[in-house]
Amino acid sequence: MNWISNLIDNWLNFMSVGENVAFAILAVLIISSSVLMINFTKVVHMVVSLAVVFLSLAGMYVLLEAEFVAFVQVLIYAGAISILMIFGIMMTRHDEQEQPKQPVFQALLLSGSVALFGIIFYAIQSTAFTPSTGFEQGADNTKAIGELLYTQHVIPFELISVLLTVAFIGAIVLAKREEE
Amino acid sequence: MDNILPSYLILGAILFCIGLYGALSKRSAIVVLISIELMLNACNLNFIAFSKYGPVPSLTGQIFSLFNITVAAAEVAVGVAILIALFKNKGTSNVEEMDSMRY
Amino acid sequence: MESTYSQLAWIIPISPLIAFLILLSVGRQLKQYGGYLAVLASLVSFTISVLIFIERTGNEMQNYTWNDWEWLSVDTVTLTMGFEINNLNTLMLLIVSFVSLLVNLYSIGYMKDDDRINVYFSYIALFTFSMLGLVITENIVQLYIFWELVGVCSFLLVGFWYFKPEAKAAAKKAFIVTRIGDVGLFIAILILFWYMPDHSLSFSAISNAFEQKAIEPGIVTLIAILIFIGAMGKSGQFPLHTWLPDAMEGPTPISALIHAATMVAAGVYLVARTFPIFEASATAMTVVAIVGAFTALFAATIGVAQNDIKRVLAYSTVSQLGYMMLALGVGALSAGMFHLFTHAFFKALLFLAAGSVIHAVHKQNMHEMGGLGVKMKITAWTFAIGALALSGIFPFAGFWSKDAILTEALHQNVWYFIVGLTAAFFTAFYMSRLFFLVFAGKSRTDHKGHEPHESPAVMTIPLIVLAVLAIGAGFVFTPFNPWFGEWLTGTAEEHTNWTVIILSNLVGLLGIGLGYLMYIRGTIARDVISSRAPGLSRLVANKYYMDELYQMIIITPLKGLGYVLRLFDYYVIDGAVRLSASSALYVGRLGARMQNGQLQAYGLASLIGIVLLMIIFVGRRFWNVG
Repeated sequence: MNWISNLIDNWLNFMSVGENVAFAILAVLIISSSVLMINFTKVVHMVVSLAVVFLSLAGMYVLLEAEFVAFVQVLIYAGAISILMIFGIMMTRHDEQEQPKQPVFQALLLSGSVALFGIIFYAIQSTAFTPSTGFEQGADNTKAIGELLYTQHVIPFELISVLLTVAFIGAIVLAKREEE
Repeated sequence: MDNILPSYLILGAILFCIGLYGALSKRSAIVVLISIELMLNACNLNFIAFSKYGPVPSLTGQIFSLFNITVAAAEVAVGVAILIALFKNKGTSNVEEMDSMRY
Repeated sequence: MESTYSQLAWIIPISPLIAFLILLSVGRQLKQYGGYLAVLASLVSFTISVLIFIERTGNEMQNYTWNDWEWLSVDTVTLTMGFEINNLNTLMLLIVSFVSLLVNLYSIGYMKDDDRINVYFSYIALFTFSMLGLVITENIVQLYIFWELVGVCSFLLVGFWYFKPEAKAAAKKAFIVTRIGDVGLFIAILILFWYMPDHSLSFSAISNAFEQKAIEPGIVTLIAILIFIGAMGKSGQFPLHTWLPDAMEGPTPISALIHAATMVAAGVYLVARTFPIFEASATAMTVVAIVGAFTALFAATIGVAQNDIKRVLAYSTVSQLGYMMLALGVGALSAGMFHLFTHAFFKALLFLAAGSVIHAVHKQNMHEMGGLGVKMKITAWTFAIGALALSGIFPFAGFWSKDAILTEALHQNVWYFIVGLTAAFFTAFYMSRLFFLVFAGKSRTDHKGHEPHESPAVMTIPLIVLAVLAIGAGFVFTPFNPWFGEWLTGTAEEHTNWTVIILSNLVGLLGIGLGYLMYIRGTIARDVISSRAPGLSRLVANKYYMDELYQMIIITPLKGLGYVLRLFDYYVIDGAVRLSASSALYVGRLGARMQNGQLQAYGLASLIGIVLLMIIFVGRRFWNVG
């Protein structure tokens, strides 16, 4: 029974920090809603649970002192992309009852995914991360990001803007073409 | 437990694997796209976690995840557009029926 | 003395070769001028042959040999190519180029309505090239190449009207039966190569080696017999004679050129060319003489019962070739070559005249002809001259050559003489039968307003030229003027023997007289033999059942074997091939099924691949540690 008490000790120790409590709550939220997303049969429900995942991730980013990214996450993922998905669902027809794939395929896929997770888990556990004190970004996080974007990362930034334009035009062309 | 980084990474890995499973097992093209978003989010979480707790903490991780979000947005836009065009042409959004590239 | 023209001898075969190439490439555009080109080419060959002949007859001359072209060089053995000019092949050159010239000329008229006339002329040109090449060749390997080439040309020309099934079958038969002989020749060449000092295969080296008896007698006999088998195939000697009558399915000028005057004489020429080998083996000489004598009589008797005008001539050719072989077999080289020389003229004449008849009446059965002598005077007269020459009546060319052979035969063995004489009787008989049936009497068929008339000048001129030669060619070698023999072999071997002269004329006249009585006067009923001895007459009419015999003992078992082999091929070999093909196909299908276009299946495959790779890489750590 020693290892159980050890575990409980560890857990209590972990939970004694407020930040960690928040992490735990968010993590549970993320994992449970993403698993739910996979298991829902109605597509709209999936999108809703996806939005929950996105919002919880935004909370996670806040926890990681990345306020700007959290903000962007809410704006783009929880806002724009979810809405886009809903539009996509509305424009196409969906079978309510999805027939499952072949059992062999399911089994292989499940074991493959679990194995991949196991490998990553093993890799993370066996890596000795140098403990860092944490990165104090201060309140000027957004300003610092803006400065970096326009100095050090200006070329990728511009490229991304071109990419967005191209995707935007391409999306319009693709969706409109058939109507002529 | 003074280092919280592995927890974030494992959370990212879980998210990624769930996304992967969804992307490969679902028949509806929309759901496949959603699952891919999930996988991209798992990456973003890793970037930001490393940006704070990594061996060399820096803002670059956050900037990279910003780019990532942008690209994901573009991808979803184009993906949904292709999907709608395909649906108009073939009357289906089932990925299994999109097999015109077979031998 | 320097031989000026002999150095130019290479032009003789090359000229028709060039004509062949031109006709082959632009024959379609040449239209009716293709024939003139062929005539021109053979005229060039003939001119040079005549010049060489004149040069060589006027003077005592060394043989001219050119063999600087090294064709194959294996270790220390070198095979050369080149040509040699001596008196023997000068004579052959003259005959071949002359007959080919006349046949080309004649064909312009005979083949004028054929669509593929230029193909025909190109084949003749190729044949002329091969035959002339065969004649002047300097070593036996080269001879073999040309030997096969003339066989191919014979095949092509016999099967020229390939839309007729008989022509197709005849072409195949001609090719296959002569091939049997060719194998013999080929084996002989191989043995020669093995046993010759320095592996030299040139004719001069061969004659040196055999004259000095450098090779053991058993081998000599073997080589000689094998060479003779090759000659048998080409020259239609028993038992390989069956192809020659069938080869008459080809155009008639071809029968005149290839199957009477030149190619079939190649066998005789081959024996004459390798005569030192035969001289070194008495056994081989006897074989040659017996086969020749037997063939002469055998074919002559078949000729009596044939109804097709060309087949009679074909059997007569076989018979006359038998005479030549008999002459060579008894050692009379010059008599044999002399008969070849005269026979080329009168047999070509007979064939061309027969062609003229066929051209006029469009049929070949003699019993449906008759009375043509009035309508076709030139043809009838020239044919008569040819027939008399063939029958050996004084003073036509055939008389002198046949007399020379019979004299030599009597000198050697009286049986050869009797056989030869009997054959001469039959020859005279069937020739008179042929002549009287075709030209005398009344027409036995209605020509339906399409009266036969004399052929155009382009066809009759060759006939007249040949008729003159059929009369005059004999005088170069008579008992009183043995110039030809001296020139050819260096020794005069002609013996005057009045008995022979009188007897041979007598049997000739007897044969003609019998034919006259049977077919003109009717004193003797035509069915005098067939009514008394129907078995004998049927036997002869069916050519002694030779074809049936071959069918039974060779073709049927071979076909059976072929059938078994075909089954084996179909089920075992093809089965294996099909098995491998279909297994490849199924593996491919399996692979193709992987490419099902399902993106998620691809995704799963790459996921599993990545997981496996990672396990391998990560696992290595444990194994190294463990």
